[in-house]
Amino acid sequence: MASHFSGALQLTDLDDFITPSQECIKPVKIERRPGKTGAIKLQTDGTYMQVDEEAGVEVKLEKAKITLNDCLACSGCITSAESVLITQQSQEELYRVLSKNQENRKFGIHNEVYTVVISISPQSRASLATKYGLSVVEAARKLTGFFKKLGCDHVFDTTFARDFSLIESQREFVQRYRNRNKENKSLPMLASACPGWVCYAEKTHGSYILPYISTTKSPQQIMGSLVKDHFSSMLGTTPERIFHVTVMPCYDKKLEASREDFYSDVYRTRDVNCVLSTGEVDAMSQQEQIKLNDVESVELDNWFNCLDGADLVSHDGGGSGGYLEHVIRYAAKELFQLEFSELNYKTLRNEDFREVTVEQDGKILLRCALAYGFRNIQNVVQKLKRGKCVYDFIEVMACPVGCLNGGGQIRPPEGVTAKELLSQVSDVYGSVNSRTPTENAAVAALYGDWLGGADSEKCHNALHTNYHQVEKMVNALNIKW
Amino acid sequence: MGQLKEVSCLNGHTDRVWNVSWNPTGTTLATCGGDKTVRLWGQEGDSWVCKTILQDNHQRTVRSTAWSPCGNLLATVSFDATVGIWDRRSGEFECNATLEGHENEVKSVAWAPSGKLLATCGRDKTVWIWEISEEDEFECASVLHAHTQDVKKVLWHPNLPILMSCSYDDTIKIHKEDGDDWTSFQTLESHTSTVWSIDFDSTGERMVSCSDDMTVKIWQAYQPGNKEGIQTTGKDATWKNLCTLSGYHSRTIYDVSWCKLTGLIATAGGDDKLCVFEEEVDSTGPTFVLSTAITRAHNEDVNSVEWNPKVTGLLASSSDSGDVKIWQYSV
Repeated sequence: MASHFSGALQLTDLDDFITPSQECIKPVKIERRPGKTGAIKLQTDGTYMQVDEEAGVEVKLEKAKITLNDCLACSGCITSAESVLITQQSQEELYRVLSKNQENRKFGIHNEVYTVVISISPQSRASLATKYGLSVVEAARKLTGFFKKLGCDHVFDTTFARDFSLIESQREFVQRYRNRNKENKSLPMLASACPGWVCYAEKTHGSYILPYISTTKSPQQIMGSLVKDHFSSMLGTTPERIFHVTVMPCYDKKLEASREDFYSDVYRTRDVNCVLSTGEVDAMSQQEQIKLNDVESVELDNWFNCLDGADLVSHDGGGSGGYLEHVIRYAAKELFQLEFSELNYKTLRNEDFREVTVEQDGKILLRCALAYGFRNIQNVVQKLKRGKCVYDFIEVMACPVGCLNGGGQIRPPEGVTAKELLSQVSDVYGSVNSRTPTENAAVAALYGDWLGGADSEKCHNALHTNYHQVEKMVNALNIKW
Repeated sequence: MGQLKEVSCLNGHTDRVWNVSWNPTGTTLATCGGDKTVRLWGQEGDSWVCKTILQDNHQRTVRSTAWSPCGNLLATVSFDATVGIWDRRSGEFECNATLEGHENEVKSVAWAPSGKLLATCGRDKTVWIWEISEEDEFECASVLHAHTQDVKKVLWHPNLPILMSCSYDDTIKIHKEDGDDWTSFQTLESHTSTVWSIDFDSTGERMVSCSDDMTVKIWQAYQPGNKEGIQTTGKDATWKNLCTLSGYHSRTIYDVSWCKLTGLIATAGGDDKLCVFEEEVDSTGPTFVLSTAITRAHNEDVNSVEWNPKVTGLLASSSDSGDVKIWQYSV
């Protein structure tokens, strides 16, 4: 089966073959009790028994479940076997929660009922709109209707969270630019919204590259912070009582949602509990035997004022979020008091590597680039390592052409080429009006109401993250011929 | 019937020798191996002597080498996941560039006839295409994920800008440029086990492959509009298996070389054996018959074999036993 993950992730040991020495070493979970001597006995049928010396009681130990977190913490054997990686991250999990909710409501167990929140990415919406011949607004309303009919409580748009991601990215860039002579690895700043790129950097280039990567969270994870922290307060509940699902164009987002950084030990819940790809949502509609066109339209949830009147809004700068567009415009204004009606993107070595500059009096003040797809990532990384990188900011995305071409998007139907479909999805995506994040009054209000100001610690914790080098295991048994 | 006579036995490597590679003028033989070095051998009188040792660059086995078409550059690939580019234009070989990006062991490297492209492949299942810019800098032009397992060898077509690769997934794949990227457009399936090596004949219309299934297969390119009526797509030829040679090796066949001068095919096997096949044409079409075989060519597996590009019948082979041999074929 062809893997849905990006090329960058496929390269980094997503490999079905597990050498014997790398087999999972977490077979059982041992309950730890302080100050006592314990023993483990192996039964003839292979089960493990924990012996309590004092009480003389033998307790059968359960096999520990391996989660994606455990796999990510180990550099060894993450496999591309879909059933292993995806079990916790598929529509089955959402159906399980909805079914449980229905049961608990029926028996009046209201404190066990989850509030189910769906956050839909604009890329996924454009992909589904294209497939079903809907406008973006129509698709959004039908998706809202679809999920609410299933029993979900709220349906949001991740574009709102992207406002925060763009604002934090551009502020971070200006800060790094101003510190560029004081801090070694201040520039170039590399965009961080793509989990395929982040995972690849952590696993292959580690401590060298990670300092260059923006600490700003992706829209998905900011949406996670928003829903689990702010929205739970608004509802008067706690984060673990919310089951938060995102709909993404990308399989790598499933890995992102599973990072330890995005898990709350206090509430024992993840910011994003489940990531569905665009294709999985489409599969759900087929499972429900209802075409998206035939779903009853429902008005969009507007808890966060993420709409402009009744309309959806988007951002300039293309289908991957527009980080370069926003960073360079903001920086040109903040640092050099310059504004531009249009930016001129120059295609360099291939369609997926484009450059844009800020010039004044013939002098280049800022130089930024888009680098999409694994080959361009390679060239960026190698130039960085050789000290030959001339850019101040690079928007890095693991998929060729960017997020509209993510591995989780709807595949082309018979008779349509991938390029044609992508062009259609791009047109649909671009049909929504754009708005600068700082024009969104709701965002400005939340910086105060939720985060306590743009420079507060809460703001930093909610909107920024860390990266971790993954050490490689090297031993003779790893070698394959 | 022909015969192979051992001309010289070259000693010096302290571990298995993985690969032999003649330079374009046939005057220098590059060998590489488990001792992490590359040795360059040249003829002095009737003897072959080690002229240069390239070392202290790769941290692990050097698996393969390839000469650029101009003969001035030598690419070396290693299990340390890097590709070394050695340049002798200053008089001595110097390592001018180290290409990084492969996740682990790199298995094979090949220069395009234009000298402007380099292909590498390895255990990470990818085929990389590197482009050489005007300033002699190497940039990643494409990373191809077509194979589902370890890729053993890459080979450029002698006349066309297409690349072949063969793999542990039992297939041979064909790649071409598509817009500003590269794409895989055909998969050749017939071998029932790892395909270890491939080579073209002098015309580029036929190809030979060898495999862990102990067979050698001949493939034919059928051009659009061919008289056999083989179906093709667009302007691309369709490759089909023409015939299969089996029963000659009792273990894995690790390498194959198709002489551009004589049309002879040499094979190297895990059974320590070298075989040479010649073509006969009869009414049913071309067949390949065994011309000669050396049952105990080396004391251990024969890893690599290559015909000299200029000297007719001169053949080099290398082995797990650490030695390199040079043979002369004669009728």
